[in-house]
Amino acid sequence: MSELSVQLANALPNNSGVRPAWLKVIRDKGAEQFRLQGLPTRKDEAWKYTGLSVLDQAGLQLASASALPSSGSSAPSPLAESRLQLNLLDGQFAAQIGEVPAGLTVLPLADAVERGVNGLQAMLESLSDKHPKATTGHGFSALNSATLESGVLIHVAAGMDAGRINLIWSTVQNEKPLLFNSRICLMLEKGAKLELLEQFESPDDNANTSNIIMQAELAQAAGLLHIRFQHESENAALVTRTEVSQQEDSDYTHYGFDLGGGLVRHDLHTSLLGSGAKSVINGAYLLDGNRHVDNHTRVDHMAPGGYSNQYYRGVAGGSGRAVFNTAVYVHPGADGTEARQSNANILLSARAEIDTKPEFEIYADEVIASHGATVGQLDEQAVFYMRSRGLSEQAARQLLTTAFCQSVSDKLADKSLAETISQRMMDVMPQAE
Amino acid sequence: MSIMLKITDLHAKVAGKEILKGLNLELEAGEIHAIMGPNGAGKSTLGYVLAGREGYEVTRGEILFNGKNLLEMEPEARACEGVFLAFQYPVEIPGVNNTYFLRTALNAQRKYRGEEILDSVGFLRLVREKLEVLHIGDELLHRAVNEGFSGGEKKRNEIFQMAVLEPTLAILDETDSGLDIDALKTVAEGVNRLRSKDRGMIVVTHYQRLLDYIVPDKVHVLADGRLVATGGAELALKLEEQGYAWLEDGGIASLNVASAVQTANP
Repeated sequence: MSELSVQLANALPNNSGVRPAWLKVIRDKGAEQFRLQGLPTRKDEAWKYTGLSVLDQAGLQLASASALPSSGSSAPSPLAESRLQLNLLDGQFAAQIGEVPAGLTVLPLADAVERGVNGLQAMLESLSDKHPKATTGHGFSALNSATLESGVLIHVAAGMDAGRINLIWSTVQNEKPLLFNSRICLMLEKGAKLELLEQFESPDDNANTSNIIMQAELAQAAGLLHIRFQHESENAALVTRTEVSQQEDSDYTHYGFDLGGGLVRHDLHTSLLGSGAKSVINGAYLLDGNRHVDNHTRVDHMAPGGYSNQYYRGVAGGSGRAVFNTAVYVHPGADGTEARQSNANILLSARAEIDTKPEFEIYADEVIASHGATVGQLDEQAVFYMRSRGLSEQAARQLLTTAFCQSVSDKLADKSLAETISQRMMDVMPQAE
Repeated sequence: MSIMLKITDLHAKVAGKEILKGLNLELEAGEIHAIMGPNGAGKSTLGYVLAGREGYEVTRGEILFNGKNLLEMEPEARACEGVFLAFQYPVEIPGVNNTYFLRTALNAQRKYRGEEILDSVGFLRLVREKLEVLHIGDELLHRAVNEGFSGGEKKRNEIFQMAVLEPTLAILDETDSGLDIDALKTVAEGVNRLRSKDRGMIVVTHYQRLLDYIVPDKVHVLADGRLVATGGAELALKLEEQGYAWLEDGGIASLNVASAVQTANP
């Protein structure tokens, strides 16, 4: 175990006073697991390409969940308007702006635990049981469970369309960089709809690490549109895990935009438990400098007639490094599944690196599956073609890389949001060398 | 009449191999010249050298365009000065909208010339005008540049770009290749509408067919890197009849075209 893991293990909170008893069990188990395995290392297959030495060197300290969030920090302005905005500061529920309509419940996680919200205990307990041998079950999750307290519960009643909720994350830079843990629980009852627009941004000097887990349960025919936009400081680390359980005919659509962050890791896992469930997972990552962005996705088709489609585009310049690993498992009985993956990447410099690995395992019949993974350079023929029409070389290259990433944002139904995100991507587009 | 393009003793290498071996050409404003010749003669190389493609190394000679040294200019500067190459194989650019691309290109050129930038409304008005003149539908506008276009659509798109950019010198590199007769007529009509006293055009073609619709002022025969014969439009007909075998056996005299003159030993 690394020095950092030992130090974090020693800083884990004392659970003797934790109530209710089931929460204490979750935290004890998490602590036990973390003390055993610590943070992941490159020896773990799922972390082969993502080392944590930057965290070791940062002198990171575990933030205390019971400490009040620091004040004085301003949350970034939201990308798009919404009726309801939730600000999470240092991993804790800090502010709620706007109205909570009837049928929608929003609670700080600790309050939700105290009130004994129906199904919450089972949801929180289920995390450690989910596919331990896959991308999940790593030390960060154990650490998150060991400190489980901060976060938010969002519940949408059956048949209700809750519209968009903006979830704005920010942390305050203290003397020493801190590691914050937080948990988001989403419960969408039968036929419920929700759009969650998550935004992670921090100023340049921010060197904190956020370790956030989102658990979402989609009942029959529920629909969740989950947009995740991160433009963290290049000194900050963001480790996130999204666990989605989908019942019959439910629909999960994901967009991930990685524009910043020094060390970024996202594990996204959807389980299609009911027939006819649909997971559409899109993402774009743009890297330069020494940034490192690792996206691990996994889709488990466990019922017939499911559909999944993954579409990721990446551009890496400078000494940036991107990792994209996607696994699709079509379990026995998940007949008639359609599963597609596409990941294309552009390298803009000789020092940049992209590792992409698609995985498929199929144990069912009549399955339609396709995948494609490419890493290439900008098309020089296209660059010349554009220059021969009058565009400067730089403009031609910028237009090509932007178009490449825009193919992700263009899929958004909200064209105004797509335009905003496209512009933000253009602003940080790495340059060719 | 003023000389718009003057190519003198042009030698060019591609991948270490000499392709152009002393090419001379003079084009006056308002003229259309056809360049014909067998495969491998250097027809496409000439187009790429004029447009400034990387990897096409000029080892000797010069190209003056309206008195300026073309070879010293970057490809975008040549475009802004008014040179346009209609590609034999137009490049597909996924994700870049055709209209947006063309507006960006036109505005880059206008900016270079110190002209006012066109906003999207002004640009669309111009585009509608051109489409109408060329009898091209607007379905190409909404798609990504050449992506998934048929061969005919790609060539029409080249002509459409040419109409919008209004170059001073247009080089059409085998714009007729791979076209059925209807597409060929559309392309030829587009070219004819762009004929003007201020514009010069070089039509590079392997076959005479296109020249039924675009009647050139001069026809040149390009063989082994040089223009070996020059004549009027009837030279093209003879070439169609007799092929290029005469290049090997006895030169232009055997073709029996009154107006044609031998310009170099084949």
